Amino acid sequence: MINDHSNKMATELPTNSTNGQSNGSSTSNGKEFTVKTGLARMLKGGVIMDVVNAEQARIAEEAGACAVMALERVPADIRAQGGVARMSDPKMIKEIMATVTIPVMAKARIGHFVECQILEAIGVDYIDESEVLTPADHAHHVEKHSFGVPFVCGCRNLGEALRRISEGAAMIRTKGEAGTGDVIEAVRHMRTVNAEISRAKGMDDSELRVYAKEIGAPFELLKETAKLGRLPVVNFAAGGVATPADAALMMQLGCDGVFVGSGIFKSGDASRRAKAIVQAVTHYNDPKVLAAVSEDLGEAMVGLNVSSMDAKDKMQGRGW
Amino acid sequence: MGSTEGVMDITVGVLALQGAFNEHVQLLRQAARMLSAKDIVEKNWIFKEVRTESELKSCDALILPGGESTTISLVAQRSNMLEPLRDFVKVTRKPTWGTCAGLILLAESANRTKRGGQELIGGLDVRVNRNHFGRQIESFEADLNLPFLKNANGQGFDTTQSPFRAIFIRAPIVEKLLPNVAGEQEGEAKVDDTVIAPSRAIDPNVARAINVGEVEIMGTLPGRAAALKVDDSRKLDAEAGDIIAVRQANVFGTSFHPELTGDPRIHVWWLEQVVEAVNRRPNP
Repeated sequence: MINDHSNKMATELPTNSTNGQSNGSSTSNGKEFTVKTGLARMLKGGVIMDVVNAEQARIAEEAGACAVMALERVPADIRAQGGVARMSDPKMIKEIMATVTIPVMAKARIGHFVECQILEAIGVDYIDESEVLTPADHAHHVEKHSFGVPFVCGCRNLGEALRRISEGAAMIRTKGEAGTGDVIEAVRHMRTVNAEISRAKGMDDSELRVYAKEIGAPFELLKETAKLGRLPVVNFAAGGVATPADAALMMQLGCDGVFVGSGIFKSGDASRRAKAIVQAVTHYNDPKVLAAVSEDLGEAMVGLNVSSMDAKDKMQGRGW
Repeated sequence: MGSTEGVMDITVGVLALQGAFNEHVQLLRQAARMLSAKDIVEKNWIFKEVRTESELKSCDALILPGGESTTISLVAQRSNMLEPLRDFVKVTRKPTWGTCAGLILLAESANRTKRGGQELIGGLDVRVNRNHFGRQIESFEADLNLPFLKNANGQGFDTTQSPFRAIFIRAPIVEKLLPNVAGEQEGEAKVDDTVIAPSRAIDPNVARAINVGEVEIMGTLPGRAAALKVDDSRKLDAEAGDIIAVRQANVFGTSFHPELTGDPRIHVWWLEQVVEAVNRRPNP
């Protein structure tokens, strides 16, 4: 007799599944895909923090971040300052890599495969092909299978998530609306993905074929997702998380972990807030712990209301 | 442990502070199904995620999963779990298995830790070298021969016939076996960039049933030739025989991730060790 008292997320990701390999990686370098998705599994239940220099990276590591995302400007500043946002200076990324022992991720522009080649050459642990930077290609995302370094990509819905996985993404995150401190879009994207997966679960093959066409997703991946009842790779929340409660909200909605961008280093007491969000992601189902860690955190980042923004100011529409 | 009508209750926890804990729960379920086919005494297996001291107290055995060792250590500290964990592993000496980050936490000494880094739980008299193979781009899969599986379970578990597919992700290795000393590893404290675990004395009642003894090597990675990344230009000799699995009394550690492969053989073997330990344990 086996009693499973684990606090099972609705979203268990089976170890003996094909690991999203119906994305075609099994025919090229599928073995390595297990290694790529493996690191994402190790990051689960953790917080990945945006940092712009070595000092912030050290603060993030000491706060308990499970990885850092190196970038030149946090989304809130990209938003405020405008201009073309590009991959960061490799020198800055290397300084961050030398400072911390946790994995270091870095962002490349959508479709900019040469930025990805550069990031792979300096040895970053994960590449985020990110809508937060200015897209470099009007139609194509990066072909990610051929890289040895794994990729994470953003999504607003199931079709977008599965298109990225089919291109080789080994990890997915919600797009949310970066640099706003408003969690509504991250919630919208997670709920959309969840609703579309529930819909697919009840379908037979012929219905799935129609649905795959409708949402622009590869049939095999959609079928695998419907069978698993969740995305076939690790899925984090991102875009607008600013408080421990926001982070726990995304976890309770079924995310495997959380990215925090501007929310930490644009707040009053970055170190304290970062520690609180880390605790909140571990104890996301324990309101007493959440209450304790939410106390006295100082000022949260100044928010931007997504509902009052113009469509052209939103980053989530970048990519397709 | 308890028992009703000849059924033995055994509770196995998986530390769920951060990392791939759910993967271990899945493999434990798979392993328990395999065991139930051959068991004489029926077991009531309870698998649970552990985030608090009271959850830990209910466990007969524990797995420390892969994840980020720095994160797990810091979260354990802030969740008041470090001392209860040291109690579990080193004082009451209950069966504990650490994979990757878990192995680092169970080591008495670990290097490449940065200032403000992590505290160790300890329990294994070894020094681990963190991120031994390098960054993620150096992560790899390799086929392993693990003789202890065969000795315990015979056919199907013979890894010379069907090797154990192991996944190494930014993996540590055991760089040095340390002597079993009373107190902490003082010699190690003098090594640069190395942290050591604080000493905790074994419970005298427990000591009657367990001889802690020296560390046993349970598995090695036979040079990087075995690794799939054949384009790797490293010197093979220098890498020959990296220690990637060790045991010392109740504590078992692997630097790779058996929980990522869907192969439950190590979990089956380990649950059998847990049953033996529970049977051996002195009545309170």
